[in-house]
Amino acid sequence: MLSRSTLCRGAQRAARRQAAPAVQRRGLAAPASGSFQYQSGEAKGVKFASRDLSGPTTTLALVAKAGTRYQTLPGLTEGLANYAFRSTERRSALRIVRESELLGAELNSYHTRENLVLEARFLRDDLPYFVELLGEVAASTKFQPHVYNEEVVPLIHLNHKRFLASTVDMAINSAHSLAFHRGLGTPTASASITPYTKYLSPDAIEYWSKIAYAKSNFAIVANGAEHSELEKWVDQFFDNVPATPLENNTVGTQQSQYHGGEERIAHNGGNAMVLAFPGSSSFTGKFYKPEIAVLGSLLGGSSSIKWSPGFSVLSQAKSSPSTYVKTISATYSDAGLLYTLIAGTADNVAKTAEASVAAIKKIAAGEISPEEISKAKAAAKFKELEFGQDVKAGVELTGSGLVHNTKAYQIDEVAKAIDGVSEQTLKAAAKSLLEGKATVSAVGDLFVLPYAEDLGLKV
Amino acid sequence: MSAPSLAPFIARRPWLRKWVQPLSNWYCNAAGYRQLGLRADDLIPEENDVVQLALKRLPPKEAYDRVYRLRRAIQCSVAHQLLPKDQWTKPEEDTPYLTQIVEEVETEMKEREDLEAMIITKRTQNAKGH
Repeated sequence: MLSRSTLCRGAQRAARRQAAPAVQRRGLAAPASGSFQYQSGEAKGVKFASRDLSGPTTTLALVAKAGTRYQTLPGLTEGLANYAFRSTERRSALRIVRESELLGAELNSYHTRENLVLEARFLRDDLPYFVELLGEVAASTKFQPHVYNEEVVPLIHLNHKRFLASTVDMAINSAHSLAFHRGLGTPTASASITPYTKYLSPDAIEYWSKIAYAKSNFAIVANGAEHSELEKWVDQFFDNVPATPLENNTVGTQQSQYHGGEERIAHNGGNAMVLAFPGSSSFTGKFYKPEIAVLGSLLGGSSSIKWSPGFSVLSQAKSSPSTYVKTISATYSDAGLLYTLIAGTADNVAKTAEASVAAIKKIAAGEISPEEISKAKAAAKFKELEFGQDVKAGVELTGSGLVHNTKAYQIDEVAKAIDGVSEQTLKAAAKSLLEGKATVSAVGDLFVLPYAEDLGLKV
Repeated sequence: MSAPSLAPFIARRPWLRKWVQPLSNWYCNAAGYRQLGLRADDLIPEENDVVQLALKRLPPKEAYDRVYRLRRAIQCSVAHQLLPKDQWTKPEEDTPYLTQIVEEVETEMKEREDLEAMIITKRTQNAKGH
């Protein structure tokens, strides 16, 4: 028996909470202004953007348009990423490490297909120190040969080994190179040791840094910093970086073309298949198609809910629960790739690949209930919003948007675009995937994994 | 390892340098290592961590040349001979190729020591909040 008072307690508590003053209700994660909008600006030719999320920490990043897409020689981007936060003209690597540790900060550098990101996360008060540090890393890193031999090359080599061992990475990179050939297709890790034994040297990396860290080529993005503060320090600490690139880099700057094709790689360490189609550019780019994001979440494959395979078409269709299936809409500044990644045992991968082509056909024929479409839209919207809210992804997207077309990533607008997707556009998008050339790469047991033709895809 | 030296003090004063330079030139020639084809930096004692690390950081070509010079000098020494005059080290060839790296390594090690011995005081700014 439940007493009346027990039943009502929750309601009473809720009522009391409603009555509490607004300040107390706001958690740490909620923004002070209620908006996730970035403010952008320019100081002495350096573009920067910030949003003042309330909270005691700041994420500051230098996003340079120097990903593998733009590198003039293979391996340069990786080399430059590994040279970040090493000795500079003013400070040794050891001092940088010790000082950052004393301030309780995290330093990180990584690269994606389009961007090279130097990232620092720290307590809010330390903003000037880290703006100065990023300015120093960009302007006056010493590209010492012994650091190259002892630290940079071994790291690149380990990354190469990891790449070779991972069928999933190999399949994704293979699909990108089939789809875009050069530029976006350049693999993010070395598939052989040739790039760093033949082309890479400290001098080449130093030359590349003068292009990558030129004022027109990077942007500073901060989360949790006051805009005026950031402007003041950016204005002060980026005097020494070159104003224009040492050489006008034309590699990778032309509009990406989609080619498509098929590649099969024998591998002993697992099975992975990627079925890819031309996708949408990022929101900051010119070819943004919100229906691709919705189509991606409708195909889906992995569940976002505990104890349930999820609503998405592929999670229902996959041949066994242990098969890893995920549909990802990879967006870049001027193109994108919608791909389904399947990994697992060879038989299951083959069966699931067939099922996923059948699923796209089903969507194209309009045999999908409106309920599922609204679920997919909600999921896509959530994913995009969460992605933008997530500091790490937001930083890179915003920086890349600023460098490419001086537009910050505004997630409020992205959400609106996704809301506007109709059933018709979704059907049309699925149909266009089947009509165009597909990209299929299979890595693993080639005796079992199917050819694109067997799946019913045109390559 | 770099030893304490008056050289920077003298080099900074042109008048003093003008006096001491001839003396230094005479001393370097009289020391006899140039007649064996060596450079001054080849004579730095290498049995310690600092110089070992510096030697590791030499560019491959420099390291090779260094070993060649040392072997040639030992050969000459064993045979109680000097090199033919055209193979003597010329003063302009006698460059401090290793000293710079040794100094770099020394500053690095000193910096490490200093950082280890550092005493940290909390900033008042951070002490109050967060």
